[in-house]
Amino acid sequence: MAVGDLIQLLFSTAIIPAAFGGVAWGILGGALPGISPSITMALLLPFTYGMDSTVAVVLLASTYVGAEYGGSIPAILIGTPGTNAAAATVIDGYEMKRQGKAGEALGISLYSGFVGGLFGFLVLVLLTERLSGVALAFTPSSYFALGMLGLSVIASLAGDSLLKGLIAGVLGLMVATIGTDPVTGLNRFTFGSPDLLSGIPAILVMVGLFAVSEMLVQTTAPDWEKATHESARIRFPTPALWRRIARPQAIGSLIGAFEGMIPGAGGAISSFLAYNEARRWSRHSEEFGHGSPEGVAAPEAANNTVACTALVPMLSLGIPSSNSAAVLLGGFLMHELVPGPMLFVQHGEVVRGLYAGLLVANIAMLIIGYLIMGPCIWLVSRPKPYLMAFIYALVVSGVYAFQASLFNVGVALAFGVVGYALRYFAVPFLPMVLGVVLGFMIESNYRRALVLSNGDLTTFVRNPISAALLAIALVVLAGQLMRQAKARADAR
Amino acid sequence: MRNRDLLFGIATLVVAAVYYGLAVGIPQSDLADPIGPQGLPRVYAVLLAALSLILIARSLPRRSAKPHSATPESRTPNPGSGIPRVIGMLLIGVAYIVVLPWLGYLLSVAALITATIYFQGGSINGRSILVALSGAAFFWLLFIWLLRIQYPAGLWPSVI
Repeated sequence: MAVGDLIQLLFSTAIIPAAFGGVAWGILGGALPGISPSITMALLLPFTYGMDSTVAVVLLASTYVGAEYGGSIPAILIGTPGTNAAAATVIDGYEMKRQGKAGEALGISLYSGFVGGLFGFLVLVLLTERLSGVALAFTPSSYFALGMLGLSVIASLAGDSLLKGLIAGVLGLMVATIGTDPVTGLNRFTFGSPDLLSGIPAILVMVGLFAVSEMLVQTTAPDWEKATHESARIRFPTPALWRRIARPQAIGSLIGAFEGMIPGAGGAISSFLAYNEARRWSRHSEEFGHGSPEGVAAPEAANNTVACTALVPMLSLGIPSSNSAAVLLGGFLMHELVPGPMLFVQHGEVVRGLYAGLLVANIAMLIIGYLIMGPCIWLVSRPKPYLMAFIYALVVSGVYAFQASLFNVGVALAFGVVGYALRYFAVPFLPMVLGVVLGFMIESNYRRALVLSNGDLTTFVRNPISAALLAIALVVLAGQLMRQAKARADAR
Repeated sequence: MRNRDLLFGIATLVVAAVYYGLAVGIPQSDLADPIGPQGLPRVYAVLLAALSLILIARSLPRRSAKPHSATPESRTPNPGSGIPRVIGMLLIGVAYIVVLPWLGYLLSVAALITATIYFQGGSINGRSILVALSGAAFFWLLFIWLLRIQYPAGLWPSVI
């Protein structure tokens, strides 16, 4: 598409206001724990009915972009990821905030999100039709291997105690088995409660482990350090920091591009993998977990790349790779646009409008993200009792809003107690989050793969994608174990 | 720390045993695959039990006194005499669940904010009540008016 055509397209329709509006709405939804990107988009769906189809899909896609970024704001400021994909950002983002570097962490997050978003946009525009085959090549054994690759980063997230990290990971896998069995449809661990039939959503586990347990800890903790005038301003990376975070951003963008194109992989896996790989390739790996800027840059670049590349299988094959992409698919269908190869032929103007809108959305994210950060940082500098009260109100309201269920509020509180206990026993709970996020995917695809192969376990190594992913998982795991062994030997 | 590890190991061992018992009780299905609905849960239970036993075994001898640095997200709380306040914070959430259907969203959130301010060390005065009411109004606007989430209205519609 020529630049002239792009400019004409942008100014002849309401694409620009739609992109800005969508991003603003998305950031708001993403920043509210419990309101997922897909819910944020779904709330807009009815309003798009009467709109021009191009403007409608731009509005929805921009909301997705904004929500993926918005999830990092509470992750950094209150230690609670607004979205699943922002869970990895908590590790170093919240630690930076605790060190009085909230403005710097938010700046890195915004800038890295922008870089990742632009990279994802380029992948989307240039490679959509060519790379769409990747999605079709994924079989259940490949998905199982992908899940195992995600789990392999537990060693990296476990801190000093791999054993406790593994225990937390297994506990997460156990939580993921609650609900309807993915193959037979039998109920497991539901105790006759209809509320548990669909399992325990990962967002409830995360809100409980991160937010509720933090509130419980803060009840008896001394007042935290207030943001100083200097730290309460958004700070974009200095040239030296730019150079330092360039590598984790590249790692995050590449992983996000790959993961986004795989249906079901989602932003959470890509964020954790990006965090792990950034740590592995960093010259300052010892800073990870203690407020490393690279630890914020990598997952943020990854999950914002996913926001664009998740549209690759959706546009080219009609396969939604995430809940959010499914809502966007609903928006397409509502306007009688059927995604697939013919979409590019029959409604080329809509696809071009969407591309232009996504470009504007990434720029809008930078502008709106910059404007709202000052108020955000001011908010978290309020007196602790008032801030804690508002976080509590936000948590219970957001959790209820997720499925209009008071039961969910109780579940989040229960996981708050679990999180408090894990903190008390010095057990890292990120492996548990990973177990919950990946558990269903691992079990369902493991069993489906065995059904398809008549119980032949070699199916996992005969499939080239599955074999490659499992090999990478082993390399990642072995690398982490060797690093920990070396660190222990050095300590002696 | 080693005492806590021992305690944690015992607790997870109990969890593994209970979980295994529940997993064994999952009914079989004629539609079941070779692994079945019990398969992986049993594996998880055995794995957790094995890891718990290793943790217990490692926490028994007291040879190394090297301090254990936790990852940032697992900062170890030391509640001490503050346990009643921690329980109080939890009870605020439980009370919110109980009273929401009766009081409706606005009043329930206002009460939750007021009680949390108190339990987090703030004092109850005109300012805190004003903050609670303003906060409740803000959340009402955000979730009910803007996001159109259907929260319980409480008994007020029938009273009015």
